[in-house]
This record gives sequence, structure tokens and C-alpha cells, in this order.
Amino acid sequence: MAARKIIKERIPTPERPPEERIKDFKEVNKGYTFELAIKEAERCLKCPYNYAPCIKGCPVHIDIPGFISKLVEYQDDPDKAVREALSVIWRCNTLPATTGRVCPQEDQCEMNCVMGKVGDKINIGKLERFVADYAREHGIDEELLSDIIPTIEKKEQSVAIVGAGPAGLTAAGELAKQGYNVTIFEALHEAGGVLMYGIPEFRLPKDIVEKEISKLKKLGVDIRTDHIVGRTITVDELIREYDAVFIGSGAGTPRLVNVPGVNLNGIYTANEFLTRVNLMKAYKFPEYDTPIYVGKKVIVIGAGNTAMDAARSARRFGVDVTVTYRRGEEYVSARKEEVKHAKEEGIKFEFFLNPVEFIGDEKGKVKAVKFEKMRFSDELDSRGKRKIEGTGEYTTLPADTVIIAIGKSPNRLIINTSNFNVEHGRIIVDENMMTSVDGVFAGGDAIRGEATVILAMGDGRKAAKAIDEYLKSKKK
Amino acid sequence: MFEILNKKELAKNMVMYRVKAPHVAKKVQPGQFVIVRAFPTGERIPLTPANWDPQEGWVDIITFIRGKTTLKMAKELNIGDHILNIAGPLGNPTPMKKFGKILAIGLIAGIIEVYPIAKAWQRAGNEVVSLHVTPNPMIILKDEFEVAVSRHILESFDVQPHWGMDDISKEIVRRATKKVKELLENEHFDLVFVVGPAGGEKAVFNVVKEYGVPMEADLHSIMVDGTGMCGACRVNVGGEVKFACIDGPGFDAYKVDWDELIHRIGFYAPMEKIAMDNYLKALEDRGEQ
Ligand SMILES: Cc1cc2nc3c(=O)[nH]c(=O)nc-3n(C[C@H](O)[C@H](O)[C@H](O)COP(=O)(O)OP(=O)(O)OC[C@H]3O[C@@H](n4cnc5c(N)ncnc54)[C@H](O)[C@@H]3O)c2cc1C
Ligand SMILES: Cc1cc2nc3c(=O)[nH]c(=O)nc-3n(C[C@H](O)[C@H](O)[C@H](O)COP(=O)(O)OP(=O)(O)OC[C@H]3O[C@@H](n4cnc5c(N)ncnc54)[C@H](O)[C@@H]3O)c2cc1C
Ligand code: SF4
Ligand code: SF4
Ligand code: FES
Repeated sequence: MAARKIIKERIPTPERPPEERIKDFKEVNKGYTFELAIKEAERCLKCPYNYAPCIKGCPVHIDIPGFISKLVEYQDDPDKAVREALSVIWRCNTLPATTGRVCPQEDQCEMNCVMGKVGDKINIGKLERFVADYAREHGIDEELLSDIIPTIEKKEQSVAIVGAGPAGLTAAGELAKQGYNVTIFEALHEAGGVLMYGIPEFRLPKDIVEKEISKLKKLGVDIRTDHIVGRTITVDELIREYDAVFIGSGAGTPRLVNVPGVNLNGIYTANEFLTRVNLMKAYKFPEYDTPIYVGKKVIVIGAGNTAMDAARSARRFGVDVTVTYRRGEEYVSARKEEVKHAKEEGIKFEFFLNPVEFIGDEKGKVKAVKFEKMRFSDELDSRGKRKIEGTGEYTTLPADTVIIAIGKSPNRLIINTSNFNVEHGRIIVDENMMTSVDGVFAGGDAIRGEATVILAMGDGRKAAKAIDEYLKSKKK
Repeated sequence: MFEILNKKELAKNMVMYRVKAPHVAKKVQPGQFVIVRAFPTGERIPLTPANWDPQEGWVDIITFIRGKTTLKMAKELNIGDHILNIAGPLGNPTPMKKFGKILAIGLIAGIIEVYPIAKAWQRAGNEVVSLHVTPNPMIILKDEFEVAVSRHILESFDVQPHWGMDDISKEIVRRATKKVKELLENEHFDLVFVVGPAGGEKAVFNVVKEYGVPMEADLHSIMVDGTGMCGACRVNVGGEVKFACIDGPGFDAYKVDWDELIHRIGFYAPMEKIAMDNYLKALEDRGEQ
């Protein structure tokens, strides 16, 4: 076989220009067309399954060369190519349209891609997204699903799932495919968890999430929104009424900075800001009733994904946005693509600033934030990060709106109303994802604190397997 | 989707809906509330079940028409229609212990929330005196209170034609503080409980604290999710940040930072007005009033 010519550069995915996209909430990246996807797929070296570093980097171990080679192999028949590729992906991941968009690929599947040694790494995330999008747009995912449904053997036993985020949705899907009767209890009026209320439309269109949820309904999953576990129904009642329980209640409690003035008007947690914008569509006020106040100058505190989402959402109201972070740029934890997009969109970044006071006007509305300037100290913290220390110098930045995005901890309600073992607010599970209460399993941000979509899904899948084993043994 | 089984105008701008919501009816306790989202483009707003039947699976909610959502509900939701979402019950149940003699005060629509709590306190062996301060056309739940508690006091007044909302609020505060002072001067109470607009609650507190009587208030902070996820409802209680939806809605009135609460509640007023004006205009265009 003749040596194939290596194409070093990534095939780019078209993006909408910044000056256009900051005027609306429509998706920024347009993704691959079939032709472009094939070009990128052909760059992949199709490393052997047991060696491929990309597979090792993916938390759910998708057979990446496997799905990419299907695209190449059947490129003369796009529908078949996508169907085959999707079947490979679905073995490990049922939400590829989402993960392809939001996974921190540069730290996972793409991190050690061997193509990186000679050129650009393979754009695995965008290929995965392409497969999922094409399948959805051409009804291929529906076809695959209708192939599966008749093969499901219905079982008697039932499982209750708490929370309809990626962890709960994944566990529900896997258990439904095993034939269990599955009921999801979700506190909000819409299923999806952070995918629905947190991550904005321009990064993850909501109709994609809704489509994923409609597939679960086709599998027979009963989704009860407006049900707050701990209040509407308790975990103890779920244990009595169902044969097993899975808790995927996430990490929804926003952390606040503990400094004077934090309750001034105009100071939002990122969760509140994003919930108003995404879930309640405040960017369409007054067509939608939920109000939001954005002012002219917005300061975002923090530099994770949540901070980027808040900053970029605020920017779409046509205002001036500055992201402030107490450490240096190298410690920014958001996905690289989001930081790049944020900068392109004209969002400013200020590093080594730690808020010490919010200053308000006589009506109780914020007008400025006072920061202490920080610097690196010589010590390292427990995670090997360089510690920072105050310099004793201060600076004040004007602000009409402040968005606090410094992290979240697990939802309190469920923990306060149940009796499983908890550490730092996180539910403790064993290697089978079971909590200290027999038959109650947990996963996702509820056990990890803030993590990622794919880790939450991985937990959901692992827990579903464990629940299946548990219920089989219980039946005997 | 939750069906409206009955709808009644109890008084001017006071509308009651009986809604089939078995998941709430089965669990709700006095002191708890629900979050209602009535329309696809609507907000999520907190409301309080005033009555419920766990067997039949319904709850009664009473809305005071104050802005767009409550007005639109009154105009567009009728018997047989459905409310999109009712989440709950939310918030902590009010402790049902024996306090002794309790003064339970409702300012205008605040009386809706006082009702289930006062009734349960009386049943739990307390002597409950209830006080409703309200303009005459908005008297509600009078008969119900008279059956439920030891004594129901109505402190009501006529609204002068030239009065605006501010004048009504001032009159409420004037009458409430005067009456509370008179009651505390002449009778011993072990607990005062108040629900109403934050400004009125604060004014009542300023009277009560002079007598040193323990006092609780339900706080009406702005809520979005009601599940502890957003922090919109945060209030400063005893120097700590609390979330009214999961730590409340009832708090020790002595510890509440009232001025901050009043500021926070008023923050969206200009936008609420835009929403209301747009809706009134839409009604006008459709030839309704
Ligand atoms: C703004 C933002 C941006 C992010 N960006 C990324 C990204 O780009 N990439 C990435 O990988 N990760 C990202 N993350 C993190 C990721 O979204 C989470 O790790 C993931 O959603 C966790 O999934 P989960 O299912 O455990 O919980 P969640 O998604 O939080 O879902 C939990 C669900 O449980 C419900 N619930 C909670 N308590 C109860 C109760 N008592 N009763 C009933 N229901 C309850 C909640 O309403 C919610 O719907 C982001 C997070 C945020 C907030
Ligand atoms: C725990 C609790 C229980 C309540 N119970 C009742 C009840 O039983 N009956 C009743 O009529 N009202 C009750 N309220 C108040 C009710 O939520 C508001 O009247 C309603 O939100 C008004 O909406 P609107 O669109 O008609 O008016 P708007 O014009 O939007 O607002 C008018 C005023 O209502 C308040 N408000 C607006 N939006 C919210 C919100 N999302 N959360 C809280 N307050 C808001 C603000 O003070 C605002 O200035 C309760 C509030 C709380 C917090
Ligand atoms: S799920 Fe995420 S980490 Fe795994 S291959 Fe897809 S994008 Fe990469
Ligand atoms: S490591 Fe890179 S080149 Fe190798 S199979 Fe994975 S994506 Fe392809
Ligand atoms: S309403 Fe969102 S935390 Fe209370």
C-alpha cells in the first residue's frame, strides 16, 4: 500500500464571525459538512484499539478510530457511514451531540492524539458532533432506536431516578434499554439539568437537548417534572416504592464570595443569570416575562466554563464585559475554545484580582467592585497549583452588573432530607456507585462536586450496570 | 399540566383557583409554597396553597392581581384550562409547636399565607388571634378565619378615589402599626407572625420589638427556581446569607436585614411595569379591558 500523505492541518469548522454572533444567541460553531468531516476523518491514523491514546483519554472510552473509520469506509453512502459510526459511539455514549460540543476535548480524547506529534491533533469532538447532528437531521438516530426498542425485554422491576441532568438521563436510558420501568423525578419544569438551564443556546442549542429527552420518552421513561425529591417525595418513599434509586441531583448550590455588599442589587450568581437567560429566556424580554438587568458594564468573577458562559451571554446584550480572575491566565479552567471565543467577542480579561468589597449606591444597587491585586507566592497548594497572596494594593472597577462564577457545591435539599453518608456535601459511593443506603446509587456532580458532562454520563452508565446486577441478584 | 377545577373571584383583584395537583396536595404543610409557571412564555412565581385535600388531590391557590402574571392568569385561565407547571411543595413547614397566644397578621394578600398556618397553630393547641389589614374591597377568608381561630380582627378601610398604590400602602402601615400597638399594649402575646409587603412587615416589626415579643415573618424575596439553585431569593439573616426558598420562607424578624430585603424586592419594578403595560396594551388591542 502506498504511503498516505499526512495532512498536518486540521480541517476547520466554519464559525460565525464575532460581530454577527454577539447580536444573537444562535450557535457559534456551525460544525462540519459531510465533505469536510470526511476530510478530517481521513487525517486520523486509525490507531489500533488497544493502543489508541484517544480512547484512553475519553472518560467513557469511545472507540474513536472505530467510528472515524466507518465514516471513511462508507463515504460513498453518507447515511450508511453515519449509521455505522453512530452505532459505534452509542455503545459508550448516548449524548454525542452534547459531548461533541461541550467536552473539554483538549484535556481528554484529543490530549494525546498521535497526530499531535506531526501536526494538529484530530478534531474528535467536532467529528463526534457531526455524526450526531447528521443522524438527527436525517432521522438516522430514530431508525437505530426503533431497531432497539422491539428487542427490549420488559422487566417487572422499577427504578427511580432523581434529577434529569446528564447523569440521570444516561442512567435512565441504559436501564430502560435493559427493560426496567424507569421514572425520573426532576425539580425544574424542564429536563436536562445544566444542559438546559446553564449552558447557553449559542453553545448547545436547546432543541438538541429536547430531542435527546424525547428519545428517552420513546424508550418508555416516565419524566415527572416539578417534583422536588426531599419535599414532593422523599428518598425513603422512593426506596419503598421502587426497587432501586439513582441520585443524579448535581451540584446546583451556587457559591458566593463572602465579602461586604454581596446582596446588593445587580449582583447575580452565574446560576441565576444563566437560568434567567437560558431556561426562562430573559434575553427575549418582554416577549418572555422573566426580567434580567444587564446595565452597561458587567464584571464576571471567576474563569471556569460557567464564567465564560455568563460573560458571553452578557456580551450578547450589547454591553461591555470584563472577566476577572484571582490567579493568572495559565490557571483558567474553562475549555480553550470558550476562552478563544470570548476574546474574539471582545470580552476583556483581568488577572490577579480578588474581590474584597462590592460598593453600592443609595438604592442598594451595585456600582463598583473593589479588588485586591494578587501575586504568585512561592508555595504550591495541595493540587500542585501555585498559591497566590495579596499585595496590599487595591483597585476599583465600575460595574452595573456583577456575575459571581466561583463554583458550586452539591444541592443541599436532597442531602438534608436523606441519611446517606456525605463528605463536604458530596454523596459518598462505593466502587459500584452505591451509597451507604442499600439500593440507592448516585453519580455525577452530586458525588464529584463540579465535574463534567461526560463524567456525569459515565457515572450514570456505570450505575445503570451496577443497578442491573443488583436487581438481578435481588430477584433470585 | 394541572387542570383548573374551579375559579372564583373572592374579592376585588383576589382570584382563587382550585387546581388538580395531587403531588402537592399529598405533601404540603402549612408554611410551604409552590412555584407556578402558568404560560409557555411566563415567569415562575411563588404562590401559597391556602387549602388542600390530599385524598381528592387538589389545592386552592389565591392570587392577588399585582402585575402581568397574576392578571394574565385571571384573564386567560378558566375552569377546565391547565396551568403548565406547579412545582412543590417548597420551603420549610412552619413549626407546629405550642407557643401559647399568637398574633397572626396578614397585610392585604399576606392573609392568604397566614390562613393555613393560623389554622394549624390553633389546632395544635395555641390561642390564635388573627388580624387582617386591608382595603374594604379586598376582604377575603373572613368566614374561614372566624371558624379557624380564637378571634379574627378585621382592620379594613375604604379606598379614596384619588389614592394610588402608595397611598394604600401608607394607610396599611398606619393602621397595622396602630392596631398592633393597641393589641400588644392590652394583651400578652407569646409570638407575633406577619406576612405582607416587606415595608409593612418592617413597620410592624418596629412596633413589636418595643414590646420584646418574639416575632416571625414570611419573606417575599424574588424567586426563580425555588429549589436553592439560583440565589435570587437570598436574604441577610443574622449576618448570614440565607436562601428564602430552602432556608425559609419564615425567619426570625429580629434578625432580618429589612432595608436590604426591601431594596432587593423592588429591583425589577421598572421591568415589571413594562411587562404589565405591554400586556394591558395587548388587551386593549384585542378589545378587552
Ligand atoms: C454554566 C455551566 C457550564 C458548563 N460547561 C461545561 C462544559 O462546557 N463541558 C462540560 O463537560 N461540563 C460543563 N459544565 C459542568 C456540567 O454541566 C456538569 O458537570 C454536569 O451537568 C453534571 O451533570 P449531573 O447530571 O450530575 O447534574 P446536573 O446537570 O446539575 O443535573 C442535576 C439535575 O437534578 C435536578 N435536581 C437537583 N436536586 C433535585 C431534587 N431534590 N429533586 C429533583 N431534582 C433535583 C436539577 O434540577 C437538575 O436538573 C458546566 C456547568 C455549568 C453550570
Ligand atoms: C413564599 C411566597 C409566597 C407567596 N404567596 C402568594 C400568594 O399566595 N398569593 C399571592 O397573590 N402572592 C403570593 N406571593 C407573591 C407573588 O409571588 C407575587 O405576587 C407574584 O410574583 C406577582 O407576579 P406578577 O407578574 O403578577 O407581578 P409583577 O409585576 O411581576 O410583580 C409585582 C411584585 O410581586 C413580587 N414578585 C414578582 N416576581 C416575583 C417572583 N418571581 N418571586 C417573588 N415575588 C415576585 C415583587 O415584589 C414585585 O414587585 C408569594 C411570594 C412568596 C415569595
Ligand atoms: S465523549 Fe468527549 S472525551 Fe469522549 S470522545 Fe467524545 S468528545 Fe472526546
Ligand atoms: S490517537 Fe489520533 S490519530 Fe490515533 S486513532 Fe485516535 S484520533 Fe486517530
Ligand atoms: S429561588 Fe433560586 S435559590 Fe431560592
